[in-house]
Parts: sequence; C-alpha cells; structure tokens
Amino acid sequence: MGAVDTSTPPPAAPTSKVRAGGRRLQPNEIRGLIAMAIVVVIALAVLPAILSVYWVTVLTAVAYISVTALGLNLLMGRVGLVSLGQIAVLAMGAWIFSKLSFSTGLPYPIVLILTGLITMVLGTLVGLPALRLSGLYLALITLMLAGAITIALRTMQFPNGGPGFLGNDPNSSAAVRRPSIAMSDPAFFRYTVIVCLIMFLIALWHVRGKAGHAWAAIRQSEPAALAAGVNITLYKLWAFALASFMTGVAGGLMASDVGRLYAISFPTDKSIVLLAVVLMGGIYSLWGALIAGAFYSLLPALLNDWGLPADLLTILFGVGIIQVLLTAPGGLAQQFPRDMKNLGKLIMRLFRRSSAPPDDGRAPA
Amino acid sequence: MPSWQDFQPFIVTGLALGGVFSLSGVGMVVLYRATGVLNLAYGAVGAMGAFIAWALINDHGWPEGVAYLVCILFGGVVTLAYGMAFGPPLAGREPLVKAVATLGLALILLGAMSWIWSDKARSMVLPTTKEGFYVGDVLVNYTQVIGLALGIGVTAFTAAFLRYTKLGTGMRALADDREITATLGVPVRRVEAAAWFGSGILSGAAGLLFSNLVGLDAATLTFLVISSVAAALIARLQSLWVTLAAGMFIGLVTAMATPILSISQYRDMAPFVIATIALLFLSRHGSLATAKGAR
Amino acid sequence: MIDIQGLTVRFGGVVPLDGVTVRFEAGTCGLIGPNGAGKTTFFNVLSGFVAPAAGSVKAFGEDLLALAHFRRARWGLRRTFQTEQAIEELSVVNNVAMMLEHVPGGGGPAARREAALEAIEFVGIDVDPDVQVGTLGARDRRLVEVARAVVGKPRLVLLDEPAAGLPDEETEHLGRVITRIPQETGAKVILVEHDMTLVGACCETTAVLDFGKLIASGPTDEVLRDEHVIKAYLGTEEPA
Repeated sequence: MGAVDTSTPPPAAPTSKVRAGGRRLQPNEIRGLIAMAIVVVIALAVLPAILSVYWVTVLTAVAYISVTALGLNLLMGRVGLVSLGQIAVLAMGAWIFSKLSFSTGLPYPIVLILTGLITMVLGTLVGLPALRLSGLYLALITLMLAGAITIALRTMQFPNGGPGFLGNDPNSSAAVRRPSIAMSDPAFFRYTVIVCLIMFLIALWHVRGKAGHAWAAIRQSEPAALAAGVNITLYKLWAFALASFMTGVAGGLMASDVGRLYAISFPTDKSIVLLAVVLMGGIYSLWGALIAGAFYSLLPALLNDWGLPADLLTILFGVGIIQVLLTAPGGLAQQFPRDMKNLGKLIMRLFRRSSAPPDDGRAPA
Repeated sequence: MPSWQDFQPFIVTGLALGGVFSLSGVGMVVLYRATGVLNLAYGAVGAMGAFIAWALINDHGWPEGVAYLVCILFGGVVTLAYGMAFGPPLAGREPLVKAVATLGLALILLGAMSWIWSDKARSMVLPTTKEGFYVGDVLVNYTQVIGLALGIGVTAFTAAFLRYTKLGTGMRALADDREITATLGVPVRRVEAAAWFGSGILSGAAGLLFSNLVGLDAATLTFLVISSVAAALIARLQSLWVTLAAGMFIGLVTAMATPILSISQYRDMAPFVIATIALLFLSRHGSLATAKGAR
Repeated sequence: MIDIQGLTVRFGGVVPLDGVTVRFEAGTCGLIGPNGAGKTTFFNVLSGFVAPAAGSVKAFGEDLLALAHFRRARWGLRRTFQTEQAIEELSVVNNVAMMLEHVPGGGGPAARREAALEAIEFVGIDVDPDVQVGTLGARDRRLVEVARAVVGKPRLVLLDEPAAGLPDEETEHLGRVITRIPQETGAKVILVEHDMTLVGACCETTAVLDFGKLIASGPTDEVLRDEHVIKAYLGTEEPA
C-alpha cells in the first residue's frame, strides 16, 4: 500500500453544472401529478354525470375510506408502525363530528377541521406512551383499544341531537347535516373529493419535505436518524397525529354521507380488513391508499351487484395479507406499474416481431 | 353496590371464563416462545371448529362426542397447516410481521364462516352444561368446572411438559435461539410442528368451551382472542403461570362487573383496559424493550 | 478541543471503556486500536447512543453528555458509521440537505440545497445529485455519508472506518478529503481507522485504545512506532 498522497487537491466535481436553479421535478413525479389531476377532473366532472346516485354514494365512500387508508398508509409505509384499530378511530371521528354537528351551529368546514383536530389529539395521547413499546406491542395496543372503543360505542351509540353528553335519542332519526353548498348526493360527492384531494396534498407535502426525510431515516436506521438530529419520538408521534387527523376528517365525511350512524357499522374485523387493503394497495406509494379505498368500498358494491357474497372478499383480503407479506411488500401500487410496464414491453415485442419480415431466408407464411 | 350474594354467580362465571382465557393464553405463549409467532387467528380457528361441530351435530346428526373431537382436531390441523406453509418463509421476519400474517388467516376463516353459516344466532350446548351442582346458593355447571380445571390443568401440564420432556426442552431451546438450536441437532421442524399442532388443539378446545360460556358467534369468538392475548401480554409472552393468573384476573373482573349496573354494559372492555394498563405499566421500566418477547 | 475524563462504559459484566482520559487537540486526530478495543463504543458515547457509567466529555468547553442524542447534531456533532448509513430511499442531495433541516439557521430549501451541493462537490461525488442513493455503489454511498458529515457548520466530525472495504485509489481520495475538512469547515475530526497509512497521512495526533483502556496518545508517527501499540495489535508471546 503506497503512502496516501494528500498534496494534490481532488478534481473539481461536475455537479457544479446542475447547481444553478432549484431542483427540477423528476419525470415520475410529473407523471404522478398529471395522473392525480386527471383522476380529480374525472371524479369532479365526469362521474357524477354518468353514474346513478347509488354508485355516486359508493364512490363517496371510496373517497373517505381512501383518506382513512392514507393515514394508515403513512403510518405503515413511512414510519413502519402498524395500527390495527383505524376503523375504530374512524368511528371516533364520526362520533365527534356528529356531536359537534348537532350541539353547535358552527359552519361545516369548521366542524370538520375541529373533528380532525380533536381526533388528532386523542390519537396522539394513545401514541405517546405506546411509542416506547416495540412494533408488535404497539400494534396489539391499537387492536385492544379498537376493541374497547367498539364495545363502548355499542352502548353509547352515536349522537343524533338527543339529550346529554352522549346525545343519543333512540327514537330520533335525525340525520347528520351536510354542508349547505353540497346537500345532494352528487354535490356531496364532489365536496368529499375536494376534501380528499386536500388530504392527499397534505400527505404529499409531508412525504416530500422534512417529515418525509426524517421518516425515511427512521425507517432505515434509528442511529442514522439520531445522528442527523431527528427527534425520533417527535416524528413518530407526528405520523400518529397526522393519521389520526385524516381519519377524523374521514369520519366526519362518513357521518354526513350516511346520515345515521350505528355502532354495528364499525366492527373490529373491519380494522383488520382495512389493514389488508392498505397492504394490498401498497404502502410505499400514496396511490396505494386510493386502491385500498376502492377495495374496501367499491369491490363489495360490485360483488353485490353481480350477486356474489361479499364474504368472498373477506377471504380474498385474508389471502392478500399473507401474499403481500410473503412476496410483494410494495403491494399493488408498486406491482401494477411494473406489471403494466412489462406488459407494454411484451406487447411492443410481439408487435415488432409480427410486423418485421422474417430474416432467416424462409418465405413468409 | 350489589351484595356478596349477587356477586357469587358471577364469580363462578368469571372463574370459568378466566380458566378458558388462560387455556388459550398458554397456547399462545407456548407457540410464541417456540416460533416467534403470536397467533392472532387463535380465536378464529377455535370459532370455526365450534361451527363445524355445530353443523355436524345439527345438520348431519353426528354424535356429539365425535363432533367435539373433530372441533378440537380441526384446531390442531388448521393451525399446523398454516404453520407448516407460512412458518418457514416468514421465519426470519420480525414478530410484528409474523403476527400480522396470522391476521390474514383470521380473515380467511371469518370470511368462510360468514359465507357458510351467515350471522344467524346459534347455540351449542355441551352436555356438561346441562348438569351441575350447588356451591352454597350458586349453581355451577360442569362446563364451567371444565373451563377452570382445564385452565389450571393445562398450565401445569404444559409447564411440566416444557421442562421435563425432550420435545418441551426443544421448544424452550428454540425460544432462546433458533439457529443454535438447529446446530445442536434438535429437529427444529418437528419441534415447531409439535408447537403449532399443540397450540392448535388448545385453540380448538377453547373455541368449544367459549361457544358455551359466551355464545356461538363468529366475530365474538374470533375477537375473544384479544382477551387471551391480553393475558399472554401481561405475562410478557414468557411465563405460563403469570398467563394463568392474568387470564383468571381478566375473567373475574369482566364477569364481576356484570351486576354493577353503572359499568355493566362496558364490562367487555375489561380485558382491553386491563391489558393496556398492564402493558403501559410494564413499558415504563423499559422492560418490554429488552425482554426477549418484545424482539 | 475535546476533553475526555475517566470515561467508563459497562454492559453487564463487560467493560468496553475503562477510565479513558484523553485530550484531542485541534485538527484531525486518529483513534486506533485492535478490534474490540472500544473505539466504536467511544463514538457511541459521543453520539449519545450509550450512556457512560462514569466520566465526562467536554467539547470546546461545553458538556456534551448533557445534551440529548438528537440534539447533538444541532450542536454540531456529525458522524459516519462502520456500515454506511446513507438513506437509500432519498436522493443524494436530500440525504445531505436533511442534515440542515433539524438545525436552526439551516436556511430555506434553496439554501439547504445549495449547501448540500457544495458538500457533495467537496467530497468528490460525481453523480446526478437527485439520484436515489439506493442505486449507487459502495464508494459513492460512503462519500454521501461523509458529505452528510461536513455539510453546514460541523464542530466535531467522527469518522468510523470510512475506508473500510474501499480500494486503494478511493482510500487516497478519501484521505485528501479528510485532510481538508478542518481547513474548510473549522471542525475537529476524529478518525477511527485500521488503515495505518490513512491515519498517518491525515492525523497529526493519534490515541490508541486496547481493551477499553488508553495505551498511548501523541504525535501520530511516534504513536505508530510505540512498542506497546505494536504489541497490542500483533500480540507477543511472553516467555513463561
């Protein structure tokens, strides 16, 4: 080994040529933004016009369940934390929204934001002591709390303008209100889509920014994250808070969508189903949340339409969990573009082969 | 506040229930120690076994004893099948991943049960439930006795099994260090299979007993696993005797809350609340982060 | 100037660091010793991952141990790891720029990117800065880690075997970069290395650990010739 020569300076690196200007958008990011814009335009302009009211309400559910799934997607994909109780949090959000909605006369957007904030605080309170536990114990605590909430709701039921703190009058059939600008089902669908878009943009802003970098560091190596000055507990809590906020808002939208809420709509196994669809949709891309919402709310409606039992889906989702954990942790959101690309390549190859003349001397068939 | 008289029947129910919680808790702890898998499908497996037994008796006229045996065996076989199919490919992953995978099994079984039997109310009454005796003023049926007896008995038997038999020692070795155990010539696959099958048998038995003590409903039975998990967690997924104690405690608290009208409707929250408090208390000293079970 | 007094670490029955007292003056200092000597444990104490059983660490007059681990980066502590820990999912520039996200005065996104690009250029990485680190080879990943260590205003840079596994030309390049760090950033550097030529080229002074104890410290060429140090590395057979 020769002596290390430190007398000559290192050669100038060619990175200087990209220094001018800020960071340019990567091609896949541009594609993603365009895709998002297309989806939103179709949802707002096209779908309500061509679909029946029933399907519009189904898609409304897809929208707010996607937001719930987005919260779980961020928790699992970004920070590696598993919550087995997000549907219970959704129920909590729905409860809080109903309560505020009936007890106060505040404008709809304010109630929605307040619901998100209160749910966020409650979710963070749960997260705070639980963060010291390892992943498995944290997941189990969320499962247990979800079970507890489900049981409590069975007794408490949902506020519907009745008396007292619990606000439930079993004889009343008052519906949770909708925003005055979006009373009809198609109008409320559009309203929901806009709120969902805002939630996704908030998620995107986080993932692309400081929080996303911190989360990526935490997920790869906690010592490396600490060495970069990341306050790990804070950022894990922040993920919890964000997921809870979004799920709370989703709960509010759900409350307005269905109008009358019942505890039996939020059984414990639905939280497991949500976990399954979020995994299957893919936790490493925000699109996975949208796919998850479609699995959770659209597929059962389709199966129903075709006369098939929805239980088949439960079985499918169970298989899906195992399959994703075994083989494709990126889920569909990662698999699908790859499959499409492979399919595209295959098609191109076939196309070229059939149109090019044979070159081995044989006469064409 | 209800009187001592009013509590008595609930003490009996609580002891029986607690016994079965401990029974399934022990099954979970043994499996976890041997394989690192916390089987959250435990309740679903037992539930399905119970449903199969019900169907055999009521739809196909099979004799009860055989049907119950089928239920218990079903638990063992399905759990073993899962373990053999998905245990090895997931063996290197963290405990959280392995536990979430079992949730996949739980969903498959839940979906199957819902599809085949739907949500109609059913009941399955074991012959032992129809016979009983009096302790003071309280009627105790034999199913409850079995519940309590099995809880204590299985705990004792399993503890002895783990300590004194070759298979049991193999399981304990696996719990300590899988790789080294393999190099020591312990037949890892066989020991794991025994752990899967054994815990499955216990889940089948628990399912049968729960269907009597609680009711024959797929979702309820499936998520009773949470109470068993609670007992196992309080034992830090390690000690069988603590699992027994915790299971009994949870069973008693849940049952004894019944006559207290102000909280009666919330009594099913007891296992969750107890386990959450216990976990948070245990984590205070950082003991969960360093305990083997928390890997 | 880094002043270590009586630093002791105990893990159960093991004592990885035993009463280490040493002073690191300005510039680049080496920290060497056979495997298991306690060098990485020493770094882990400085990083805050390990709490010492006894002893103090004063850096530029400030008590470093009083700071929570994640606050030390803010204070100006930087470190690389034996197995490099650049964040694979992020781009090169984001890996480096994120070091400035958690310190006050890091500036806005444009300023951070600018500073990151300067650091990337300084260490001599010549790939597209917006490329994911996961796609890079070992040499570039290692350099990304070093860039993370020099960006911003570091005060103390800990390099843990940065040349491990690198071929000779890369080690030379690394040596050139390391030597320039104190001049360009004003930071003090402590270099843990097994490659003695690198240590000789970069470090004015060197300390030596063996079984958790300090067995030598002083000007590098003297230390490298010290017979106790050589004995620690090679071992000797004492006559019975």
